[in-house]
Amino acid sequence: MLKELINHLAEPIVSFPIATFLFYLMIKHYKTFGSKKFATWFTILSIPVLIFFFADPNFYLIIKTPDNVPIGILLVLVAFFTWFTMHKAAINDTRMEQGLEPVEAMPENREKVWSWPNLVYTELFAIIACTAFLVVWAIVFKAPLEESANPTWAPNPAKAPWYFLGLQEMLVYFDPWMAGVVLPVLIVAGLIAIPYIDTNPKGNGYYCFKDRKWAIISFMYGWLILWVYLIIVGVFLRGPNWTFYGPFEYWDFHKIVAEFNINLSEFIWIKGLGIGMPKNLVVREIFGIILTIAYVGFIPVWVARATSFGRKFYIDLGPIRYYLFMTLVVVMMSLPIKMVLRWLFSMKYIIALPEWELNL
Amino acid sequence: MSENNKEPGMAYNMSKLHKVMAILSFIFFVTTIWVFLDDYMRPWKGYQVEALKIQRRHLDAKIAEASKNIDANKLADMKARLAKGEEIVASRKEQITKAEKEKSAIAAKIKAQSIVNGILNGKVGASNFGFETAEAHHEVKAVEKNFKNLAELKVAFYKGKDDLKAYQAQLKEVENKIADLNKEVFDTQKEIKDITNILELLKMAHAQTDISPVFALRNLPFIDFMDPTIKIRQIVVNNLVDDRYFRQVPKVDRCITCHTFIDQPGFEKEVNPFKTHPRLDEMVGLESKHPMKQIGCTSCHGGEGHRVNDFTTVAHMPDSEKQEKEWIQKYSWKEPHHIPSPMLPKSQTEASCVKCHQGVELVPGATVLNEGISAMEKYGCFGCHKIEGKQHKRKVGPSLLKIAGKVNKEWFKSWVWEPRSFNKHTKMPAFFRQSNNSKPEFVKLNIAEVNAMAEYIYDKSKPYEPNEKYHGGNAEKGKELISQIGCLACHGVDGLEDQSNAVKAYTGPWLSGIGSKVSPDWLVSWIKKPWHYQEDTVMPSLRLTDPEAQDIAAYLLTLKNKSFEELKFSPLDKKDRDWLLADYLSAFDTNASAAAKVAKMDDREKTLDLGKRSIGKYGCFSCHNIEGFDGYAPIGPELTKEGSKPITQFGYGIQHDVGNTRGAWITAHLQNPRRWDIGIDKVFRDLQLMPNFYMSETEAKKITVAILGQVSDPIPLAGVKRYTAGEEVYNDGMKVAYKYGCVNCHKIDGLRGNILNMYLDDINQGPPRLVNEGHRVQANWMYHFFGNVQPIRPWLKVRMPSFNLSTEDKNRLVAGFQLGAKQPTVVEPAEFVKWLPGEREEAVKLFNAYNCVSCHAIGFTKETPLAPNLYKASERLRPSWIKLWLKNPQNILPGTSMPSFFGENGTEPSEPSYFGGSAEKQIDALAKYVVELGLKEGAK
Repeated sequence: MLKELINHLAEPIVSFPIATFLFYLMIKHYKTFGSKKFATWFTILSIPVLIFFFADPNFYLIIKTPDNVPIGILLVLVAFFTWFTMHKAAINDTRMEQGLEPVEAMPENREKVWSWPNLVYTELFAIIACTAFLVVWAIVFKAPLEESANPTWAPNPAKAPWYFLGLQEMLVYFDPWMAGVVLPVLIVAGLIAIPYIDTNPKGNGYYCFKDRKWAIISFMYGWLILWVYLIIVGVFLRGPNWTFYGPFEYWDFHKIVAEFNINLSEFIWIKGLGIGMPKNLVVREIFGIILTIAYVGFIPVWVARATSFGRKFYIDLGPIRYYLFMTLVVVMMSLPIKMVLRWLFSMKYIIALPEWELNL
Repeated sequence: MSENNKEPGMAYNMSKLHKVMAILSFIFFVTTIWVFLDDYMRPWKGYQVEALKIQRRHLDAKIAEASKNIDANKLADMKARLAKGEEIVASRKEQITKAEKEKSAIAAKIKAQSIVNGILNGKVGASNFGFETAEAHHEVKAVEKNFKNLAELKVAFYKGKDDLKAYQAQLKEVENKIADLNKEVFDTQKEIKDITNILELLKMAHAQTDISPVFALRNLPFIDFMDPTIKIRQIVVNNLVDDRYFRQVPKVDRCITCHTFIDQPGFEKEVNPFKTHPRLDEMVGLESKHPMKQIGCTSCHGGEGHRVNDFTTVAHMPDSEKQEKEWIQKYSWKEPHHIPSPMLPKSQTEASCVKCHQGVELVPGATVLNEGISAMEKYGCFGCHKIEGKQHKRKVGPSLLKIAGKVNKEWFKSWVWEPRSFNKHTKMPAFFRQSNNSKPEFVKLNIAEVNAMAEYIYDKSKPYEPNEKYHGGNAEKGKELISQIGCLACHGVDGLEDQSNAVKAYTGPWLSGIGSKVSPDWLVSWIKKPWHYQEDTVMPSLRLTDPEAQDIAAYLLTLKNKSFEELKFSPLDKKDRDWLLADYLSAFDTNASAAAKVAKMDDREKTLDLGKRSIGKYGCFSCHNIEGFDGYAPIGPELTKEGSKPITQFGYGIQHDVGNTRGAWITAHLQNPRRWDIGIDKVFRDLQLMPNFYMSETEAKKITVAILGQVSDPIPLAGVKRYTAGEEVYNDGMKVAYKYGCVNCHKIDGLRGNILNMYLDDINQGPPRLVNEGHRVQANWMYHFFGNVQPIRPWLKVRMPSFNLSTEDKNRLVAGFQLGAKQPTVVEPAEFVKWLPGEREEAVKLFNAYNCVSCHAIGFTKETPLAPNLYKASERLRPSWIKLWLKNPQNILPGTSMPSFFGENGTEPSEPSYFGGSAEKQIDALAKYVVELGLKEGAK
């Protein structure tokens, strides 16, 4: 019963809103989240939960697969470093509220030390320790080889390397050129652009949250929810035929999921207006085109004009930085929006122009 | 933060850092060692060390054996002689020393001369080149100069060569002299070596297995890349390939890395992997037809031959649950994943024969496979399932073109409904009352189908009137005849269960309940002349006399099935029929429109239409000739590449207890083909159709082997067994022989001959075995024999039947035998009989001496003949075969009553007083005489 419930909760349609809500809670109560007490209790509570999970043969089968083990470890590291930054930020924010300087700016911490040996020597330690660790790893976990590659018989599921599984998960919601080309390019371009967009002088050299609230929220949402969460889904919860399997579910090759997706134009012309599809392609997709233009073109302008935080941004950043930033945010948010549309309305494409190989 | 012992500008205590560094360095060192050890310690190395020990043990035994064989006294004797010889030789010490000196002086001269000659040789070549170039360019001056030079050099060169020869002659002379001087020692030494040679060789081999410092050095980690003795051993088979999808690479099998002695006799009693191959005469062995170096291992066994990681990764597959348990315990065996074709379990290895042995009926030596192929032939699998190379197989069921003249419609329906309720031995499978169609609503529809099929078949059936009348006979006599004249080669018969079960005949049906099935007149007519009723039948005539036919019919008519006779089949329900028809039509139409179309048809039309559709659906036409089904494709999936079908494409339904291998699926499928529907919600038209043959697990497993062999592995032409033109014709002839069931009686070249199981006491009472038959009989005789069978062996009760063979089939058979034996079409007997002076007279005496006529009595005495008529030999037999036969009949037909007059080798005549005791001359003379008998007799 409980396992079935968890299987159900893990479905993206449920788990994505939950993840978003947890993210909201984490941001809202970041001081609580960043406390040692929280970390302790979280760790203590997660031990029986983990035991419960690992006791399940199907879950264990997936998690112990040699190429999944490092991903599990990475997830623990992500959780730790997220907590660690929030922990440091919480301390500094509390200090600054009391009018004190951040920990990093305290006199004893401003003392300068030699880079040799303090830095270089310890870096060497890290290198040796990492190498030894990887060597042992390579010996203990043998490389998980599969059958020899057969061009006419692809493995099922055919999965990208784990770090691209977020992108592969996006393929569920977007046309390949969008999920495979446009979005990855924008992600890279956006990451490169961050230093040029972010003019906030605060937060250099010390942990903080309050001073860089919006920068942290927008980055962390993109990172934790839109990247790491999708990787978790892609690695652990997508089985043969890229079908969703709950964490306790057996990856039955023959599982069938009822799915039938409809384009926005079909919604409007057939279901809404009750008339046939127009012959002219542009007319047929006109609603989607208008919506998209409005989404990309109108929202940033509206935010700048009508909301107080938008106006502040606009003034702080200047028009070019502002619009660059907002375009990136808008594109990033198109992913959760599309996901929600898919779950709620079985929406296939907002603009469906396969004739031009242009689907959105 | 600052601690006492921290220097300014330092965040950490330096000595602490060094300690950390020391610990990390140590860990790193340990992991590096671990890397080398992990790389070095491979499971296969353990096996090779173990193999070394085993080899040592065997060598020890052999050395002990060899030492035992050496006569110690003799050896001591020789050694004493050697000591004496040494004394004698010592007395010639001076002479010997002188000769030795002489020898080394000559050797030095030879060395010096060969240096001189070498230099001259180079100069001659260079000068010659200069001369020829100058000639080609017409440089007169240069030509002259070079020519002079060359002439001088050549003189010197030839002289040098001659000198060398002279020195070599001198050397030989001196060497002989030295040998002479040492004679007593050298000779004895050689004699000693002759006895101890084997022992010395064995000792040398033994030394190879010593764990010496050199051995350790060569196999030391890190330097073992240079010339290790413990290393991966492999066979690269260039004419066979492994399919790596992007390209096909030569097959590399490394199995011999652990299976060290697989190709060496003498290790039969070792445990695996050190065992000798159990069939060294057929496989692996250097002398066998399938030598390891040419065939590899995985070509037959399957699996990943290039891998040597461990026991599991090469995809070993256990043959039984017991073995599986043993392997798990011993080798931590796991079921191999990600391997498209794991090894074939031992009992299924014969499947691989099919890969190369294409176009033959059976593969000699492959017992299980042959039984599988025969079982497929028996059940007519090839009717519904296309298999490349098996399309020539006949339809196994009787023709239904005149069925109305054979059985009544009521019987027909009940039979189709449940064949086994009439005849529990029948090959006809059950389509109805199966696990997937026994729901009442399906049974109703099945009944409608059976009714409609019967209507269709009887509607199309041509009238038939038997051409004989039954007027009673002696059933007991009939039974005896059936058991004697050869009926049992093709039929099992009720009342003769023991013989029937021994023969396991399947070409014709098991005869049961005949009296409840056919009319007496039909039966007599059928057994006397089968093709009167069915033109293309393979049932032959046994040339029965009228009383014989009546007796046999009388017995068969006593076989009745009373309970079956009383069965009444449910009548056709028109509603069900119409529903079924509408269901067919709705495939391309709406339900309403389909129903409307059905409503427009008239009653008879509906029934016949459903009948035809149902026959097409169940594939009855695959086994039976039915009018209206010419050109219909077989209804089952093609099985030509079934053995390579990805396991994920096998439909398991919800049958999770069936193993996840192709073999397990096929076996389960054969035992109950409808099982995959169990627990699945299906509409009537989607139900699985393959009928149930009620096969035993053993039989299903044999067929599984035959099907598993149907793989898509690419085999380059260089690697396949390619038949010569003659062999192709032989294979084609065998197709006819197997079709008409010749092999049910005759064991042809070692295969089949089922009825011989009835004659285990005296094989000479059964039909003759045919060994290289094309060599035995004349092609012309054989052709006419098929058209007009004359008894050859009068003492046999079993009869050679008269088949209704077409001219083409006769020719295929004759040509097949003839070319298979590499014989010319005509051998003129008259040309063979050319007597040497006096030979004939002695031949007659010899003929009497061997008393040939005591068995070959016909035409000579009034005795009961126990062997064929010699007056007919020249017409029937080829002279060269007669000679071969005389030489040693046991070689050709073991157990024959013909005596071997010339011993096992055919060289020792038992009457040595003729022809100077020469077996060859005697055989030649006897053969000539026998051939001549027929020539003279001509008219007889």
